[in-house]
Amino acid sequence: MITVNISQWCAWAPGLQTRADWQAWATGNVSASAVTQAPDVSFLPALQRRRLSTLARMAFAVGWPLAEGLEKLPLVFVSRHGETPRTFAILSELARQEPLSPTQFSLSVHNAVIGLWSIMRGETSEMTAIAATDDGFEHGMLEAAGLLNDGSPAVLLIIAEDAPPAAYRQWIDDVPFAYAVGLLLTPGKQWQLSSSVAADVPAADLPHALSWLRATLNGQNGFIHSGKRCTWNWQHRP
Amino acid sequence: MSVPQQELNRDIKQLIIDSLGLEDISAQDIEDDQTLFGEGLGLDSVDALELGLAIQKRYGIKIDADAKDTRNHFTNVASLVAFVTARQAA
Repeated sequence: MITVNISQWCAWAPGLQTRADWQAWATGNVSASAVTQAPDVSFLPALQRRRLSTLARMAFAVGWPLAEGLEKLPLVFVSRHGETPRTFAILSELARQEPLSPTQFSLSVHNAVIGLWSIMRGETSEMTAIAATDDGFEHGMLEAAGLLNDGSPAVLLIIAEDAPPAAYRQWIDDVPFAYAVGLLLTPGKQWQLSSSVAADVPAADLPHALSWLRATLNGQNGFIHSGKRCTWNWQHRP
Repeated sequence: MSVPQQELNRDIKQLIIDSLGLEDISAQDIEDDQTLFGEGLGLDSVDALELGLAIQKRYGIKIDADAKDTRNHFTNVASLVAFVTARQAA
């Protein structure tokens, strides 16, 4: 069992940017926009932001405000599918027997986002990129709790998924829309997370990070996320 | 500069902008003798690889990444124009 405080959160999806937008989303009054768009990251110099993919832009958009004023902030980055538009572009070039774009290639790896984060913020704290199955949110939380336990005063957790290219959509059914959720975690006991053997619980109807956000905004203090190997039990003690 | 050289000059500037995603500048913003890498325009080593690839594709020429003078050809737009002109004539 682990316990943490979630001191702040920030989320982005097409059409859902402000806290009020997300509140309306949580109560079912608005949905994410179907229009493809990327968040504004004009707080970064143009020369730096030009190479950022939609995934990286989303991660920066939710992480940057949370990291404001904090130095030595470890980062745990979670994405199940990663840079699917980049990898699809590279595979398409290979199929056409064309030379691969060095930029696409160098930024297609799973830890590219944390590498860019480190360069652009001059941040040298520990950073981890995780790809788990459907419970990456909880695995990222475990990793962050370990860093807090090691003495970090705060840890940034970012969960981000981009909408996959059309060619992959038949197989990727857990990204209802592109989204990123950032959480600033500190030591504490407000949230308690425990796991038990996989129970016969239906899978969450949303990716776990979004399900957590909806539960939080709706003031729900206990909920369950079932993963492939175990069931995660969330408890909030306000 | 002859007319074809002027066209090639503009073409290479646009190629730099398009292949490297320099969305906020236009061809007129790049000086012929402005240093492209490090100082000047501020491009980096990944840009060098990307631009090398774009030039090879666009002009159908081969660039030897290990050749000593390759670095000099990529100094600025003027040197790239001279390089592409020489290779296309060869």
